Amino acid sequence: MSKNWNIGRRTFLRGAAGALVPLPFLNLMEAGAESKNLAGEAKPPLRFVTLFKPNGVHPPSWNINGGSENDFRMSPLMAPFAKHKDDLLILDNMGDFGFSSHSNSTRRFLSGHHSNRKSASVDQLIADKICGSTAHRSLELTTEGLFTNQIDCSYISYDHKGNRIPRESDPQLMFDRLFRSPMRDPKQRQKISSLLDKVTADAKTLQRKAGREDRETLEEYFTVVRETEQRLQNMAPLAGSPQVDFSSLVRPEGSANLNEQVNAMLDIIAMALWTDSTRCITYMLGNSNSRMIFDFLGIKKQHHYLSHFFRNFSRSNIDSLLKISLWHMEKFDYLLTKLKSYKDHNGSLLDHSVVLFGSGMGHSDNHTAQRIPIVLAGKGGGMLKTGRYLRYSKNQELSRLHLTLLQKFEVEAESFANSSTPLPGLDGGAFEEYRERPFESWVKIGNGKITVQGRLRMSDNLDEAKVFYIDVKDKQSVRIEVGFGDFHGFNLAYHVGTPITLTGNSNERSGQLVLTKVTELKSVFGKSKPGKANG
Amino acid sequence: MFGNEVLVAELQSFMRPLSLALMFPAGLLGAPHGFELEVRPILDRSCLKCHGGEKVKGKVDFSRIKTDADADSQFELWETVAEMITEGEMPPEDELQLSEAEKKTILDWYQGRLAAPIEARPGTFQPRRLSGPEYRNTLHSLFGFELNVAVAEAQQTEAGERSLVMKLLPPDPPGASGFINDTHGARLSSVIWDQYSHLSDAALEQLFSRKGREQLGALTAASLSGTWTTADFTRAQAEILIRNFVPRAFRRLVPEAQLSKIVSALAGKNGRALVEATKFELKAVLMSPAFFYRGLLMEGVPGKQQSVDAFELAERLSYFLWEDRPDDELMSLAVKGSLSDPQVVEGQVERMLQAPGARSLAESFGVQWLGLASLDQMVKEPIRNHALTSQPVDFLNYLFTEDRPVMEIIDSKITFVNQGTSGFYGQDRQRMKRYASTKGIERQTTLNQRLTLEHAQWRGGILTMPGVLSMNRGPIQRGTWMLRRILGVKLGEPPADVPAIKPSPRGKNLSFRERFAMHRADASCARCHEKIDPLGFSLGAYDASGRFTAVSTGRKGSPPIDTSGQLPTGENFKDFAELKAILLTSQRETIVRNFVERTLSYALCRKLLRRDQPTVNEITKNICEGEGTWRSLFCQVANSLPFRETMIEKEREE
Repeated sequence: MSKNWNIGRRTFLRGAAGALVPLPFLNLMEAGAESKNLAGEAKPPLRFVTLFKPNGVHPPSWNINGGSENDFRMSPLMAPFAKHKDDLLILDNMGDFGFSSHSNSTRRFLSGHHSNRKSASVDQLIADKICGSTAHRSLELTTEGLFTNQIDCSYISYDHKGNRIPRESDPQLMFDRLFRSPMRDPKQRQKISSLLDKVTADAKTLQRKAGREDRETLEEYFTVVRETEQRLQNMAPLAGSPQVDFSSLVRPEGSANLNEQVNAMLDIIAMALWTDSTRCITYMLGNSNSRMIFDFLGIKKQHHYLSHFFRNFSRSNIDSLLKISLWHMEKFDYLLTKLKSYKDHNGSLLDHSVVLFGSGMGHSDNHTAQRIPIVLAGKGGGMLKTGRYLRYSKNQELSRLHLTLLQKFEVEAESFANSSTPLPGLDGGAFEEYRERPFESWVKIGNGKITVQGRLRMSDNLDEAKVFYIDVKDKQSVRIEVGFGDFHGFNLAYHVGTPITLTGNSNERSGQLVLTKVTELKSVFGKSKPGKANG
Repeated sequence: MFGNEVLVAELQSFMRPLSLALMFPAGLLGAPHGFELEVRPILDRSCLKCHGGEKVKGKVDFSRIKTDADADSQFELWETVAEMITEGEMPPEDELQLSEAEKKTILDWYQGRLAAPIEARPGTFQPRRLSGPEYRNTLHSLFGFELNVAVAEAQQTEAGERSLVMKLLPPDPPGASGFINDTHGARLSSVIWDQYSHLSDAALEQLFSRKGREQLGALTAASLSGTWTTADFTRAQAEILIRNFVPRAFRRLVPEAQLSKIVSALAGKNGRALVEATKFELKAVLMSPAFFYRGLLMEGVPGKQQSVDAFELAERLSYFLWEDRPDDELMSLAVKGSLSDPQVVEGQVERMLQAPGARSLAESFGVQWLGLASLDQMVKEPIRNHALTSQPVDFLNYLFTEDRPVMEIIDSKITFVNQGTSGFYGQDRQRMKRYASTKGIERQTTLNQRLTLEHAQWRGGILTMPGVLSMNRGPIQRGTWMLRRILGVKLGEPPADVPAIKPSPRGKNLSFRERFAMHRADASCARCHEKIDPLGFSLGAYDASGRFTAVSTGRKGSPPIDTSGQLPTGENFKDFAELKAILLTSQRETIVRNFVERTLSYALCRKLLRRDQPTVNEITKNICEGEGTWRSLFCQVANSLPFRETMIEKEREE
């Protein structure tokens, strides 16, 4: 195994993506594999990480429709992390009734309900339980500044009084705090010590001619130098500090764009967990109504504006929104890949972690609180049974999930926010699964006309955001590729995930049946024409 | 950049005439020998035991004050001594007391010296630590890049403190002068040391990273191509880097021996090892007291009044006007010795006021002088806060850097307005350029536009800017602020047993103002309130948020707001406009004097002393006589005696 790692460090650091990825040294990765457990505990420590996705989600491309617990097809937006399917627990029908402001939805994500304003968020309660012996109790990280019009949009982590916990956005600063502290790194102590010797010697030459005031100033200086020396001598390595050579960790370079900044932070998150510097981290990929501009993706409009994809509808806007959404999913993938790359005990770091990915809001345009995107990753040392898709029969408040997580992390909790019954099914136990009303799917062709009934879905290729498919049982799916007038006039995106009967003109292109012009759309169960406000 | 060896020679030739001048120090005047003959014997008898003999209590050391000249240089001490003796606090009860005759001798001597005309003399030379903004700017100009906190840009989103330096360093408390550059009371601590160490590392890492390639190229005088890596770093480059960096960091020429010692520490190293060694040497420079204290390397003779050396003068100029180290032009003038010419200094002040760094005058000097940071406590909402704060700052920057008359701070036709403040400017706002708003944006901070007031005459000058008005709520806060910050009147603290403002007597419905008049009937209150109240009540037509109620009426049914008043000096006015006219005429000299004192104090980074009064008088007179502008005020400060000269205290003889 160790020989496989034997590649040039630079080659490795450049990584497949081409970006300079500051990964730990390879010898360190081996060291982790050999020493059974970094913290020297009998059981590998559990970790809890959350990754917050701003601005809800574009449901037509996100939702999984149809399928069952063990037999489901991941949605187009899930493609970037589909390879981790076996490590995922995708939850559906999570949320609340009605609509939700950005500010309320931010609080919901880790506090369960927007009215839960006087208690700690779930990450902090878990941190209390699992982070006792680590150098840092928890890390609260973000990418973006404060949204000052509604300040709560910028915080997911709250302390025991329900106060916002300040976030940190700078990867270099985090790296230095975690890995350059003389408390944790003997080489760092040695470096400081030789610097102190040098500056003392240099400053002594200043004393020659100095007047009284100069001498007093220098005395002040030497006092601080002596104090610093004293502190260094008194510094005992922290109990449980791993045998990692911290000076071998590569400090991230200054980031040229958001993508580099986020990758650097995700690297640090993984390193922090692996070195057992902390066990609980929350990271916001943006404020809940993020107004970042993804210029490195070639997008000029801000994310929040684009996320209102129906009221601000244009072909280029929807393309931009999907690009941004895909980028968020890629970051989730990046984190999971990174956590898997570290050996921890008898498995990977991910095996002993729970990663909570998602948002506090469902539909990003009309702000519904239903079907909030929530994905759990990692087995949490066996507390979760992954590789499944749980679509609950009824709306499940996020606080039920939080309560379950608290109990799984052995935090004593009878209730959390407005829930006192845990969410079933996460560990493989029974849960009430969503039952779809049965419908038939078929296709009738003749005379250049087509009528097809079945579930409408978006194309898996999000570059063709205007293309849909209707799946027909035991037959090839029908491709729907219509002009802008039909796309918008019949509001196809609204019906995604539901069964419809669609009539129109068709032709066949290299064996693929294509519907090119819609003449009639009927929803099998719902309204055929949505109100204006829906998207 | 200046070549070192040649310039060392130049420096030496420049220093020679200077040391000649030092042989005839100014300031030795034929003072009466009252102190040596009469006062010192009493002090030796009654005070020395605790103050300079067996111990030095309260940092008061009489053993160091031997001559009349020594005594004159300690004027603040005698103020305290006089107070202690008058109040009977010293000597302590359990010690031998002074006789009435002895007390009289000391107090008479003190009164005599106080009344006596004093000669302008410079302050004692005191090295001091760079303030946070000075440290930030110095690192920036030294390295050529800023150390910023990484945070993604987003619309309508406050990135918070962007400077890593300001984020990590504990905020500097204002010193005795009221300014944070007066760091004499904010000593180096191990917390600050750790942050300096961290910031030095961060800057050096960035210099040798991809991001710092351009700046590293500039400092090594090499063009580092795209394929260049730190493995290609050569000793020749390291040497150029050190020779460029060290004198700039120390803000003066550095002896060749010292430079070659640093260079020789790199001998035999190559590539990355060389980079590490270079970083270590440079970090030692950045952690040296000569870097983060100002003045430790100044050449001078202890025990004498003398001109500060050329580099110290360059540094004083640049930290005064830029909060930053001297640039290459100032450094080369210092090397040539040209700064001893007041005209050269004037030219430099003019040049420096045109440079971007001069904005620090508004952002640091102006904000601290006028206490504008208290708006942060009053108005927390960031967009409104930005609008209210940026307006006076932009206005001050305009006055300071565009050579405007000093009194325009009180009244000006020019103001600076953005979307958050335009509502206060009536019809004048119609002449503003429209702000473009991006899709999906509700409210955002916008840049100020320069606006000439044609209608909103009641808004001219800083006193009626909405931020200044809403930062001081109510007539008492507003009056106190104007008195302290604009007129420069020193008010004591209100007495501890201050009686509350009484409610209206039964059956009468008195306004706040009328009830306050009753309060003023108390003599101990009147002492301050006769000064405060007229100023404060004159602004009654501006409500708590600074809105102008054009007609001076109060709430429905209540009598019109009375904004009239009389100053203790006798002038009457009926509203703020008339008061402003008084400020601009009969109070002009008082106000100009305050401007001069605040500016000089900021420039010297210390509280003004009695011996600075002649300088203040002279500049005040010059400014008052002509249409004195801020630029001429800055020039006169830069050429003033306390700015150009100093007194180095002798070591105490053991």
